[in-house]
Amino acid sequence: MAVATRAKSSRKFWTKVTPYLLILPVVVYYAVFWLRPVFSTIVGSFRDASGAFTFENYLMVFTDPDFIPALRNTAILVVFSVTLEFLLALFLALLINRKFTGSAVFLFLAMIPMALPSVAVGAMWLTGLTSHGWINSLLYYLGVEQKIYWLAGSEWSLLALIIVIDAWTVIPSVMIILLAGLQNIPKEVEEAGYVFGGDYLTVLRKIIIPILNPTIQTAVILRLISAIQIWLVIVLLVGFSRLPVLVERIVYYHEEMSGLNISFQMASGYTIIVTAIVSIAALFYLRLSGAFGKSKEVR
Amino acid sequence: MKKYKVLLLVVIFVFSLLTACQPETIIKEVEVPGETIIEEVEVPGETIIEEVEVEVPSKTLVFSSRLFSPPREQEFFISEVIKPFEEEHGVTVDFSIIDDDTLLERAEVQQTTDHVTTDIVVAHNGRMPEWIENGWVEDLTDVVAGWDDRTFSETFSQDTNKDGKQYFLPVGADVYLLLANNKALPYLPEGVDIDAITWEEYAAWAVAIAEGEGEGKVCITGIPSKSWVYMFGGTGLSYGAGFPDINSAGAAEAWKIWETIGKADGFVPTVLNIDSCVDPMMREESWLTVFHNARAGQVFASNETQYTLAPAPSGPEGIGSIAGVSGYAVMKGSANYDLAIAFLEYLTRPDIQVKIAKGTGGFIPPVEEAIAFLGDEAIDEVINKAVLVLNNGVVSGVPAGNYQDWGAVKKCFDDIFEDTVLAGVDVTQERLDEGQACVDALLNE
Amino acid sequence: MVKKPVKFGKLIRRTIFYLFVTSLAVVILLPVYFLVSLSFLSTREAYAFPLPIAPALKIKYSMTHGERGYLLSVYDSFDGEYQTVLDTNELEKISEYMRYQLGAPMSIPEIEEQISVLESGTDPVEFSSRKNLWLNYSTFFKITRNALPALLRSLQIAAMTIIISIIIGGMAGYAFARYTFAGRDALKFSILFVRMFPGVAIALPMVIILANIGFYDRPIGLSLVYSIGSIALTIWITASIFLGIPVTLEEAAVVFGATKFQAFLRVTLPLALPGLAAAAMYTFLGAWNETVSAIILTQFNPTFSVVVYQSLLGSVGQVNLAAAGGLVMAFPSVVFTFFIRRYINQMWGGMTI
Repeated sequence: MAVATRAKSSRKFWTKVTPYLLILPVVVYYAVFWLRPVFSTIVGSFRDASGAFTFENYLMVFTDPDFIPALRNTAILVVFSVTLEFLLALFLALLINRKFTGSAVFLFLAMIPMALPSVAVGAMWLTGLTSHGWINSLLYYLGVEQKIYWLAGSEWSLLALIIVIDAWTVIPSVMIILLAGLQNIPKEVEEAGYVFGGDYLTVLRKIIIPILNPTIQTAVILRLISAIQIWLVIVLLVGFSRLPVLVERIVYYHEEMSGLNISFQMASGYTIIVTAIVSIAALFYLRLSGAFGKSKEVR
Repeated sequence: MKKYKVLLLVVIFVFSLLTACQPETIIKEVEVPGETIIEEVEVPGETIIEEVEVEVPSKTLVFSSRLFSPPREQEFFISEVIKPFEEEHGVTVDFSIIDDDTLLERAEVQQTTDHVTTDIVVAHNGRMPEWIENGWVEDLTDVVAGWDDRTFSETFSQDTNKDGKQYFLPVGADVYLLLANNKALPYLPEGVDIDAITWEEYAAWAVAIAEGEGEGKVCITGIPSKSWVYMFGGTGLSYGAGFPDINSAGAAEAWKIWETIGKADGFVPTVLNIDSCVDPMMREESWLTVFHNARAGQVFASNETQYTLAPAPSGPEGIGSIAGVSGYAVMKGSANYDLAIAFLEYLTRPDIQVKIAKGTGGFIPPVEEAIAFLGDEAIDEVINKAVLVLNNGVVSGVPAGNYQDWGAVKKCFDDIFEDTVLAGVDVTQERLDEGQACVDALLNE
Repeated sequence: MVKKPVKFGKLIRRTIFYLFVTSLAVVILLPVYFLVSLSFLSTREAYAFPLPIAPALKIKYSMTHGERGYLLSVYDSFDGEYQTVLDTNELEKISEYMRYQLGAPMSIPEIEEQISVLESGTDPVEFSSRKNLWLNYSTFFKITRNALPALLRSLQIAAMTIIISIIIGGMAGYAFARYTFAGRDALKFSILFVRMFPGVAIALPMVIILANIGFYDRPIGLSLVYSIGSIALTIWITASIFLGIPVTLEEAAVVFGATKFQAFLRVTLPLALPGLAAAAMYTFLGAWNETVSAIILTQFNPTFSVVVYQSLLGSVGQVNLAAAGGLVMAFPSVVFTFFIRRYINQMWGGMTI
């Protein structure tokens, strides 16, 4: 009897300790390599040029004339991008999951945009969108002689353009997460839905999506975090300051306009504020989608 | 079957991981006529770095440059300029292109950790003050005094020298030239000599093209903090303004010139997206521009029969132009000081300077004796016209060192361009005063 | 009698389906097509309007006497006429021009041959020359010294990053999926912080940490930096995948005599493969394409992305060369994609209980 109890409490001990052991490497890793630089950046954001403690940096950012536009542009981009990209990625993932003949080839082709480095993406779109570029050339061959000045439009047309281009690059990466999640939904479950009289959309809504929920949450939260930090594609296409977004402001004060007395302070201030915004948005989404407070296990 | 593939993959990954964790051995193999000496520097996985120094007569010279970045120029420089030197001295020159910011960052890291690995740097004159003030480059005054067959152009001494000491040896000077697509020539106003064109005639030309084509064809770099400040600066200098003046009398007249072009919609519709006029000119999106001679030379070389090059337009005070230059310098604490000096001696010889200038797009060799070595090909024409501007024009360097951030100064100019010139409205003295305040606020204390 | 219409309808639907899928693929890949085409165009073609849909295979010339010497013209198939390009006396210049601007090298003896034909009366003399389509690529490799070592280094770094991320991240992901413990949700959320903090701000402090450990300018150093972001990503992806694998499967294996670890290895892991593959894909691409940090963190042992970036730094006026360079860099990523995709979309059906 005593042996059995000891064995049982030993097992209980391991059950309690195992998760912490599994998490330990991550925690140690981040503590060593990430925590210190981040901590010093945070501390630095509360310092002004002479090293004294101050909220001045944050004040400067909030009163920066580019702050509101950056915030607004980022918000618009995020809302439309994430929604559009998620829906299209889901569509593609469901399509490929049907495993029709040639779906492997199609998957490969659909993944190519995400494999391109930013230098290639930049060259590709710049040479396309310029007034003598390949998009206008293609239109010319199709009979449209009027050149369209893609990049010379209003801020709204630029935003729309960025959303499209970003979607093109990013959809494959969202798609593969969703596709990976779909692999574990057994066909029987799906078929059961049809047997009980559901059509495709109902099966989708009531069976597949709920089971896919953790994967959807992961895909959306990762996409959300990346989307708020968009900047490279915008700078490649229109340069700095033309369409300000949050992280573009950070890079601006860190790299492009780094010699000003206020540069370091602006960069630090923006960095912390961006982090705060991203955290709040992420928290908001996770609360909303119910990721917290449920230990979900699939039966 | 699938399992074996996965296993194979894991084996490959693990193998590569193991090879990566071995002490990294940087082996420099240097060939000396007769013997091969291997210098091994072993870096074990600890914080102690042991260097085994072997006394070798021949070395590797590390040459980091911001100049000669276009691939063709790199190719030319490596095979036509570096190779002969390597063969003559039995050394290797490790040549790489690095932009100004990274050059400075690397220098900071090397100097503060006292582990100097770069020997020669080439920096742009706008950044030279930073190099000199931080004490990261060697004083070359005595070395230069020892060379009596070459005289470095005085124009750049305010950047390359400080307190009477010379730190940088100038190379690759550039001034502004007018570049026109021959399609624009029919619109040239009657009786105007393109080689002696004035700013007013230039503006009239631009207006004529816009009216005739229904679309503006003048290129300036509309993306903030690129070259607009220099393009405008040239005009300003032609009217007697200083650089970077915004609201002085001469500058105001210069703004009027550009205002005329703006009111006639004379700029290419995509002007705000342009960060360099090379591509628009090559694509024939734009037909007329004034920009620096090496890039003008590059466009010109793409089809000499299609373009016309002329000195930059002139004003009452002459041909105004901003002149830039790059400079060779030896990194302080470099282990190969003597070899570096030998290499610099080779590079700054007048005939080599001309060779470099011709092979790399038409930069001006800033050595007075070099002019004698020019020929009569089209590229020589580019260099000749540029030299004309340099020697006879109203030239100014870039006083970037006086300001907190030169990019911000540029932006003050860009903002005025966008608000007024491009918008087609009058450039008022008020707006100019605002702009001047913007620039003055950026002065170093 | 009812069979035929049904089959016909099915055929129509299938055709429409495949048509749809194909046109979708075309739309997705149109920009890539132009990029690839651009990398094979000569400089002259790359800056022409309208841009050629496909590179020309040969160039037609016409040569006559000009002001400075010989006037060379090139035939433009779109306009249907000859356009002048060069007027010079120096044959070397003609040869160089043909090579760099037109992508159709001709040796000096060949040019001299045409000149003698010109001098002997045929004015203008017309001739053609084959294009070297791979010229941009060969130029790119010529100016990219250290290409091969840098390539191997980048592969090495990518491999190490993947291993580190999957092992450390996978373990944590499993913990989050299978166990409830104090602070689980908070910890899972805080792991995301590493992706929320804009990396550009901490790049330089990172260099100092690595230099102090002795990992500056070494592949392992870069892997450690890249792993920071990809571990977080791996944790979230694997956690969601593990949640999708019923714990009853593991329990069943245990009932049949396996240890928990064996159950994990032989039952859960294979089913989690798509998720791991997706995480590996992200990690590979992140490590492969990262340039900004790599420039700061390396000097004598650059990664491939740094080497490519340096070569293309000054490629103003040579967008075809930039395209070639970008594609060379993209190639290994595309190969990796090809290899990993079958793990993401399991071709051997879903799981049956």
